[in-house]
Amino acid sequence: MENETRFDLNAAIENWRQELAAQPNIASDDRRELETHLRDAIAGFQQRGLNDEESFWLARRRVGQSQQLGEEFVKVDPAKVWRERVFWMLLAIFLSGTVGGLANSILFALLPVNSNSTVTVAMQAVLIFLASLIPIVIAVSLAKGKLVALFSKLTLLVDNRPRLATAAIICIVLSSLIKITAFASYYSRMNVHSAHPLLPGLTSAIYPLIIALLLVWLMPPQNRMTSKRA
Amino acid sequence: MYKTAMLTKDLVAASSKPLLLSILADGESYGYEIIKKVRELSGGRIEWSDGMLYPVLHRLERDGLIESEWKEADTGRERKYYFLSSNGRKALKTERQQWLAVHNTLGKLWKMKPVSI
Repeated sequence: MENETRFDLNAAIENWRQELAAQPNIASDDRRELETHLRDAIAGFQQRGLNDEESFWLARRRVGQSQQLGEEFVKVDPAKVWRERVFWMLLAIFLSGTVGGLANSILFALLPVNSNSTVTVAMQAVLIFLASLIPIVIAVSLAKGKLVALFSKLTLLVDNRPRLATAAIICIVLSSLIKITAFASYYSRMNVHSAHPLLPGLTSAIYPLIIALLLVWLMPPQNRMTSKRA
Repeated sequence: MYKTAMLTKDLVAASSKPLLLSILADGESYGYEIIKKVRELSGGRIEWSDGMLYPVLHRLERDGLIESEWKEADTGRERKYYFLSSNGRKALKTERQQWLAVHNTLGKLWKMKPVSI
């Protein structure tokens, strides 16, 4: 028929992918695996001479209903989806902790010597509040589909364990250095000699280090090795 | 309905472990290829539901019998490859002995030649 809409294979696969993503029991790694299977199956049917639409529907039926799949997948490893969620939660805690730490350091570097006046105390409170807003602004923008391109590029930085570990360590070392510098300048302005600036710098690195270790441990498998037997 | 008798659900479930271990003993493979191979080798008598293969593979992986790795195939397409671990090799040996024990017992009853274990 003339006005029959043409079947769009990519759109169909995208729809299928979203249906699967709505299934909370299937982790992203498993979804990716099922998608490669669907694509292989489609290609297999196409090779046998079926058209895009027939190939897609047959392949889709072969792979199975997402709800049934979810029930089976979650039986094998009930904690898998939660490991993935905890990973993202910890990543958010790590990043907002880093942002908060930086704001704190900047605050100390800028803090005037006479810090007891109401104005400076109020200024501190406002600055801390503004800094704590940064993660919220980022979260809202991401949810609304902004910053997605930027963050997709950023996730490339952390798409395997060594890279994630390196990025986390660079973050921790940099923010510790900034903290040490800030506290050194603060102590010298305040004429405090009993406290050493290394102390706040190092102690504030312990918590992010623990989170970084957990992140590396929980990281979902995504090793994109090229085939050795190619 | 069927030209050849299909395996019952129970037998499909029970035989999936030795089948998967034996296929992977021949070399690494991925889900789609494994299913194709089983279909061909069984002459269509063993028909696995495609999506349900993965929970079975993941269970074997959880039990340390197989391992997996995402790799790029020659075509540029990424696939999750599975391969046998040393524990899997041992498990396959046990599976083989058990299945041949069943096979030989039935074989004697059905007056067939025994297969050496």
